[in-house]
Amino acid sequence: MTPLLQFAFRNLLTRPLRSLLSLIGLTVAIMAMVGLFSVANGLDRMIHDTFERIPGMIAVQPGAPIPLFSRLPSAWGAEIAEVPGVGVVNAEVWARAQIIEGKQVFSPPRFLFGTDIPSRIKLKHGVYRDALEEGRFLQPSDSGTLNTVISRRIADEFGKKVGDTLRVDGQPLTIVGIYYCDSLFLDVTIILDIDTVRRMSRTGADTVSAFYVELAEGATSEEVIAGVQERFRDRKLNAVDPASLLNMAMGGPAVSDSGAQGGAVAEWIASLLTPNQNPPGNPSIPENPSSEAAENTSEAGESVEELPLEIRSVEDWTSDFEKFSADLDIFLIIMTGIGVTIAVVSILNTMLMSVTERSIEFGILKANGWSRRDILLLIGLESGMLGLTGGICGAAIGWVATLIINFYWAERVYLYAGPGLLMSSVAFSTLLGIAGGVYPAFLAARMTPMEAIRRG
Amino acid sequence: MIQIQNVRQNYRAGETVVQALRGVSCEIPAGAFTFIVGPSGSGKSSLLYLLGALDEPASGEIVVGGRSLSQLTPGERDAFRRDDVGFIFQNFNLLNNLNAVDNVLVPYLPGGVSAQRREEAVRLLSRVGLGDRLDHRPNQLSGGEQQRVAIARALLKRPLLVLADEPTGELDSESGAEIYRHLRALCREQQSTIVIVTHDRSFIDDGDMVLTIRDGRISSE
Repeated sequence: MTPLLQFAFRNLLTRPLRSLLSLIGLTVAIMAMVGLFSVANGLDRMIHDTFERIPGMIAVQPGAPIPLFSRLPSAWGAEIAEVPGVGVVNAEVWARAQIIEGKQVFSPPRFLFGTDIPSRIKLKHGVYRDALEEGRFLQPSDSGTLNTVISRRIADEFGKKVGDTLRVDGQPLTIVGIYYCDSLFLDVTIILDIDTVRRMSRTGADTVSAFYVELAEGATSEEVIAGVQERFRDRKLNAVDPASLLNMAMGGPAVSDSGAQGGAVAEWIASLLTPNQNPPGNPSIPENPSSEAAENTSEAGESVEELPLEIRSVEDWTSDFEKFSADLDIFLIIMTGIGVTIAVVSILNTMLMSVTERSIEFGILKANGWSRRDILLLIGLESGMLGLTGGICGAAIGWVATLIINFYWAERVYLYAGPGLLMSSVAFSTLLGIAGGVYPAFLAARMTPMEAIRRG
Repeated sequence: MIQIQNVRQNYRAGETVVQALRGVSCEIPAGAFTFIVGPSGSGKSSLLYLLGALDEPASGEIVVGGRSLSQLTPGERDAFRRDDVGFIFQNFNLLNNLNAVDNVLVPYLPGGVSAQRREEAVRLLSRVGLGDRLDHRPNQLSGGEQQRVAIARALLKRPLLVLADEPTGELDSESGAEIYRHLRALCREQQSTIVIVTHDRSFIDDGDMVLTIRDGRISSE
């Protein structure tokens, strides 16, 4: 440590209480910053981690933020399969589970995921199948039965194992397999045969939530998207009414291995991502889920989408979430800004008081040949050290807090404070500290030696 | 050689402008042991601070070692104070955060302290009888000891000019005598010019230069 740095450090220790209070202010602000941004980072990480496991594409109703809120005609699956570049098309029906083992399910939400078992087995990558920990995945012989594969989290929550019965919405499901993806978005699903979920959610046989599309060898997503759009150009289908989303999210009839859904967080995100396409009162989802879904055209022409089917690649989903994430970041910056402002004012006050009190000291230093720059450097070092220490403490406490929260509320939240966030918080805090010391430093540096000594 | 030419200095005390120096002119030969004496408020300290470039005169010129202080840039003034002038204040003005050695090394803290310079600081402190008090902070030292640290700090740089403002003002006569003994010995050794402001004429020896100031003017040399 250079003598100047030692001197600056000792100066801070000379006024321990004031330095400590300033440090606490900054620590709390940086801790809050780490905490808030770990929410966005956790979301980003979870989304990227989830989508990385899902290499295919998802065909949904236009405007549906996630498959849970989408309705499509079942028959379209066969047509999608005919598009060049398409390998496997897997029909999916999604619904929210209302009551599990006699317990009303609110948060974290649980989802019934009905999949067309024969086509599902043909998928090269099945996110749930690949994450199977115990038992087996669904087989064609499970079609029409109440056999289910559930997540480890659900199994642990209700104390179930393979072979046990899990009562969901009044139905005694038989657990044949348990998977674990270690993802808040994915470990929320009760996987059943598609017809079973249709019955449980009162969804018509000719309606699905979405189609999961796996590309054929060598095909590109652009080529498939173009092919699907071309094929369905002349079809008509209502876009999703945002008002209906809530109903479906709360367990109304709904109608994907998209895996892009799940968790209270997902629903919240979904509501934010939902485009406001239909005017209020114009129901887009038929009340009686049936073939209407296939034939229905809107009476209000302006509410009808040009394309009746939206096919999204992983990149599209990621892009949507990144836009949302950017908005979330703005909100977080504003929230953090409040805390940071208080911290800067606290450092400014500390340094200002310190400079005022130490007027004689600066006079002595100047009398001994210290230049303005030296004085500025000294005060900058002092406030910078406060900032650095506050940053390290804040980042460390914030990081530990995210670990604790993740441990105790693993089912509900996922916070991630990575090295990037932690280091930038420390750097930011140091800069804040220095910024807080700039004005007091100029005040001290501009005085002549005698002026400083007389003031003291 | 120090040349002081028609120097005036004013202070503002509320609404009133106080004329601390009213056209002071004199010369101090290089290596002289000089006292500035006079009643309180006569302008002694004001003149001392101007000599050390701690303050700027309202008018007039001060030339130290051939350099006009009023012509110096701020950076040159800092360098002048750091390299050519040693200050000794009445109330010692040591920094409480630093031990005796570091207080002596204060002028060099921003630029870094070489081992050689640190050794020199220790040597000087030993010369003034503080060899066993090197790591003591000011509040662990007596007044006389603190002033001896201040002397070591002023002389470490082997300055052209040593300026002392009532250096024994807060000391008993025995400590005061010791301070003067050290000052005279070290300044002679380093061939520095010394200017001391004091009320106490008992330490003035034959051969010392004495400037008497009264009402902002030199009344006798």
